[in-house]
Amino acid sequence: MKAGLEVHQQLATGKLFCDCPTELSEEVLGVVSRRLRPAGGEERTVDAAAAFQASRGLLYRYEVVPTSCLVELDEEPPHPLNEAALDTALSLSALLHARPVDEIQVMRKIVVDGSNTSGFQRTALIASGGQLDVGGRTVSILSICLEEDAARKVREADGEVVYRLDRLGIPLIEIATGPEITSGEEARAVAQEIGALLRATRRVRRGIGTIREDLNVSTEGGQRIEIKGVQELRKIQEYVDGEVARQKTLLAVRDELGRRRAHVPEREPVDVTPLCEHAGPGPFAEASRGHAVVLALPLPGFAGLLRSPPGTEERLGRELADQARSVGLRGLVHSDELPAYGLDDDRVRSIRQRLELREGDAFVLVTDRSHERASHALRRVAARAREALDGIAGETRDPLPDGRTRYSRPLPGRDRMYPETDIPPIPIPEERLRRIRENLPERPEALRSRLEREHGLDAEVVRQIVYSDAEEPFQELTGRGHPAPLVARLLIHDLPAVPAAEPAGSPFAPTVETLDALLTAVEGGRFAKEGIPRVLAALAGGAGSLDAALEQVGLSGFGKPDLDRLVDRVVRSNDDLVRRKGIECFSALMGDVMKEVRGRRDGQEVAEALRRAIARRAAELGS
Amino acid sequence: MGQRIELTDGRGATWVGSVVPRHEFSGDRVLPLKLESGYNVGVRIGPEFSFRRLPDRPRSRNAELPASPSSAGSADRGWVTLLSTGGTIASRVDYDTGGVRPVREEREILSFYPELERGGRVRIVPVFDRLSEDLVPADWALLAEKVVASFVEGAEGVVIAHGTDTLGFTAAALSFLLRDLPGPVVIVGAQRSPDRPSSDGPSNLAAAVAVARDRRIGEVVVVLHAGLSDDRYAIHRGTWVRKMHSSRRDAFESRNGPPLGEYVDGKVELSQPVRPPGAGPPSADLPLDSRGGLLWSYPGLEPARAEAFVRDLRGVILAGTGLGHIARGHLDWIRAACRRGTIVAMTTQCLAGNADPFVYATGRELHRAGVVFLSDLLPETAYAKLLWALGRSADSAEVLRLLRGDRAGEFRMRHSAGSWV
Repeated sequence: MKAGLEVHQQLATGKLFCDCPTELSEEVLGVVSRRLRPAGGEERTVDAAAAFQASRGLLYRYEVVPTSCLVELDEEPPHPLNEAALDTALSLSALLHARPVDEIQVMRKIVVDGSNTSGFQRTALIASGGQLDVGGRTVSILSICLEEDAARKVREADGEVVYRLDRLGIPLIEIATGPEITSGEEARAVAQEIGALLRATRRVRRGIGTIREDLNVSTEGGQRIEIKGVQELRKIQEYVDGEVARQKTLLAVRDELGRRRAHVPEREPVDVTPLCEHAGPGPFAEASRGHAVVLALPLPGFAGLLRSPPGTEERLGRELADQARSVGLRGLVHSDELPAYGLDDDRVRSIRQRLELREGDAFVLVTDRSHERASHALRRVAARAREALDGIAGETRDPLPDGRTRYSRPLPGRDRMYPETDIPPIPIPEERLRRIRENLPERPEALRSRLEREHGLDAEVVRQIVYSDAEEPFQELTGRGHPAPLVARLLIHDLPAVPAAEPAGSPFAPTVETLDALLTAVEGGRFAKEGIPRVLAALAGGAGSLDAALEQVGLSGFGKPDLDRLVDRVVRSNDDLVRRKGIECFSALMGDVMKEVRGRRDGQEVAEALRRAIARRAAELGS
Repeated sequence: MGQRIELTDGRGATWVGSVVPRHEFSGDRVLPLKLESGYNVGVRIGPEFSFRRLPDRPRSRNAELPASPSSAGSADRGWVTLLSTGGTIASRVDYDTGGVRPVREEREILSFYPELERGGRVRIVPVFDRLSEDLVPADWALLAEKVVASFVEGAEGVVIAHGTDTLGFTAAALSFLLRDLPGPVVIVGAQRSPDRPSSDGPSNLAAAVAVARDRRIGEVVVVLHAGLSDDRYAIHRGTWVRKMHSSRRDAFESRNGPPLGEYVDGKVELSQPVRPPGAGPPSADLPLDSRGGLLWSYPGLEPARAEAFVRDLRGVILAGTGLGHIARGHLDWIRAACRRGTIVAMTTQCLAGNADPFVYATGRELHRAGVVFLSDLLPETAYAKLLWALGRSADSAEVLRLLRGDRAGEFRMRHSAGSWV
């Protein structure tokens, strides 16, 4: 097995080709709808992936948010490339020992799945030929590119896909490694190291979805498969291992098909709608009422090979069903799983007769309201079944949450790229590179030894800090004087354990200010560090402030009445001062009060309570 | 050019790719390469570089575009003639350099728009292949003749594919030049080149061809996107329309009120009265006299400069400020010009509303000097009308009469409170 990795990291520098912020939005102002079509060159050829996407004939709707601009709507030429994003890419190139090009040419990469309003993604090769040492091995870095992120898919319904424009145009640094990774575990380690390098630039966006990996996996005798858009680092290993298992299964199926001399006949799909009359509830119910057609494809020699072989999750039937889904069908039904889905033995038998099948032969059924779409789906299924005779088809696959992957589209070729003429070539002068080299961020390994040394932390704890989003807040909070062990525990233990508010909700991400206040409160003795997880949970659950959170979980050992009593006591013990100076003694008394409050209440609140108490006492004393 | 090479710099870094043409803004000694990955990069060549030739790469297999029906449509239906003039709508991209150039052949246009003939026959007649900023009034005259010839040959409608920059001028000029049109003349353009999957060209053209088949219309109209979505196409009268945005696909607007109608959901919906097809044979009211000019008034425009601009002209359209004003310092040359029979006509650079001489003193003096106020005509429309009127008569009184009169429904007499654009 050989694998290569492409890491895509969003930058927080502002969008790549316009002047919009890189923040996502939940507010939608309106919707613009578009259709895309593949554009043919002189020979009327188009890229295979582009032609496939266009063949779906979908309508694309784009949700416009308050920060959207005409560039994002493909209504205005791109602005010049974001300089801060380019600097970040050049820093990465230097950190990875790659050779930058002397003149950057922004390219248009045709993508007609609607995720870019223009129908292409702008992308530029910044540097090539680098390397990275991970765990004693050297992995080559093929390329470092700067490209624009696609629009965010909101939902997909019948014949249309809805995208939101907020993510479109966010700069992405794409780092591609050579195909030298030999295990899922190593893939994960490489991704981790690259992630740490990227975060070291301090210009990256944080949180779920801001870093995504593509995995290129090929096995002995197999084909290159691209798994696109893995968001969770810890899943990389699972996807790589899963892909290896899938290819193994399919190669075994191929061998068996070969032994049986299985084949896929070149013939039009057979309409078996009449044979599905009065079918039971299930996918064929519509057809049984005459509202849809059922088309069949015979697969001589395939019987028993469409379902999973014992001990594996993968099966050819699913590969075929993915093809039907890719043109908008719900899926398909194959003979290995029949009788079921409302088709009983009699109906299955008559379908077999109609198709003139013998023992050992299989068939698949698709059903849809549109005859054209159903037969389009079956043609794709037939093509995929033919590929099964050869083994594995090179293709792009989508990762699924359960660790499996699903067919998404053919592999794109080089034909889908041509120059973006709206952006002139961008020279990279030596002075710029020198400035970049002189301001390189600290490398992860140097950072690790420094943190171990400076804070006396355990190596494993430091490793966890450096290879996660915790590194920047760790440096910030320890810089503000909080003890390193407490900060480390908060960031790598307590915080990740906070459950997300709801399944779909974004994970809890408190600001550094909130964490600062929390640590101050612990250090000030307002509550013990054991209480941190409960306070975090209360904050995640919507408590508006630290005080409210403390109150909620019963840790507010010093409530408002306590504050009022304390203030009153301090004021009364200074009656003399109050009588002479009135409210002007505020500053003198505030210091005394704060000393006793010890950070258990908000400073603003203490000041107000003190002012009230002085005014009240001054009136009583008749000054 | 096109040679596949391996390039190595002094430190051993290598690039493999084919040499592509230099970009016009590329730096010195920069060699542009198309790498095997498809990316173009520029490498600055030094004396320490070496390279070797490599054998050509086999062309990768591409999927064919979905097949298009060729010359579909029933034989008994008439055809639409498509006159192509160049511009974005009929440009193609060079995939190596990304440069855009106008297409020259019918075959090329059909290769972009294979769906063009889905609704019936379309005859494509290339007229010229120029960007619209390069067009001159003589080109309007040639186009007018081509339109007439197309109808005489039996076309039921004519579509003109045109660059958008000066599309409004051409639309206005043809509106004044063409008489007794037996069917629609539809001018169409695109704001996004056809190499982009998001190009508005294909759907604009499909809408234009559909409007060109509408038997209710006997005038010159402009059809392009009505909004940012690919679902509504506005039908503008040729004299009312103006490009109001440099890049949006709904850049064209009818000024002073709504457009004539829309093409939506496959149907032509007319919301304003249109000129019906004429009964007689169509004709082009030629020649045009190009000795007319258009001058934008601005603070600081020196009277001597304006006077020099007008000196050799038979007439000038002023795009005045507000209700149609120009600094009082210009009154002298204007009076002199009018006295010697030069036409001076006023429009408003507000691009909406009337030019009106009677509200302010400046206007009244201009009026007394002999300036004709052309109410709500757009400056460009007034300019086209001036060239047409100058071509019609050598007598300035007659030219003034033609300018003031209605010719193509160009004046919008009523500016409805609800329809101001």
